[in-house]
Amino acid sequence: MQNAKDTFYEVLRSRLVALNPYRTVVLRGVVRPGLLVEENELVTTVALPDCFRMRWAVKAVSADGAMPLIAMECEIEYETAGTAINGGMDRGRLLAAMDAELQAAVDPLPRTTQKMNYVGLASGAAAVAMTTSVWWSEVTFGQTVVKDDRLARTAMLTVMAYQEAGEL
Amino acid sequence: MIRLADAVLRAVGGRGVFLRLPAPAASGDDAEQLGLASPEFQDVELGPAAFHNANSVTKLMVSSSAVRAVVGSLAYDSAEVLFETAVGLVIDGVLYEITDTVGAEAMGQAYCYWLTLRAPVR
Repeated sequence: MQNAKDTFYEVLRSRLVALNPYRTVVLRGVVRPGLLVEENELVTTVALPDCFRMRWAVKAVSADGAMPLIAMECEIEYETAGTAINGGMDRGRLLAAMDAELQAAVDPLPRTTQKMNYVGLASGAAAVAMTTSVWWSEVTFGQTVVKDDRLARTAMLTVMAYQEAGEL
Repeated sequence: MIRLADAVLRAVGGRGVFLRLPAPAASGDDAEQLGLASPEFQDVELGPAAFHNANSVTKLMVSSSAVRAVVGSLAYDSAEVLFETAVGLVIDGVLYEITDTVGAEAMGQAYCYWLTLRAPVR
């Protein structure tokens, strides 16, 4: 399950960077692409605007086949206050731009990729390709929510993968 | 005013607390972004500081001279950035999350900081 989550994050991040390399976020002094997984960050960093914040939940596990099939719900939350030079009056346009970026990153085919195991990165080794794939649904967009001076939205999609033997 | 605030904090039994700060992230490090590696943390002492409990809200009043010293020595832009960057405050071995920061000012200068704290869920 963790490998599928990591793999989808890496794919989505590379697609978003290709679409808009200027969408970045500064976290603990380092400029990074504007996509982060909330559970992998300090709790103090989760409300950053103008970036995509991913959240995971297990939706269903099916043990009918040869390998368990796991479907995970991925919530992607984002918000913007617009630009200060425009007094925030462009916040609707910037939210629409983020909608378009996310859709362009998630929806195009192929919506599948080789599952990777990234555990080796912690000790300086390379990621290892696994035998099965990760695939995902189209993205669906939630209502626009007003949060003080920000406009926010939560988009959702389902990520699926087979659980290989010995996987976490 | 700053010296007066420090003196009052000491007189009411002000104590030292530790601000836990994460080390800067490693540039382009996928292991950190995937939650495989954690940053290193450093604890810096702030004091004198005194607790204030009212309406179930725990607040800590911290000397602005101590905060200024840390902001200057670690090259933060401001006290607000320092507290936003921090993981929390370590008090008697317990890590408290900082949920709000307010600088009490006189003549354009902060003489102390009020930090609203949230205790860990047990």
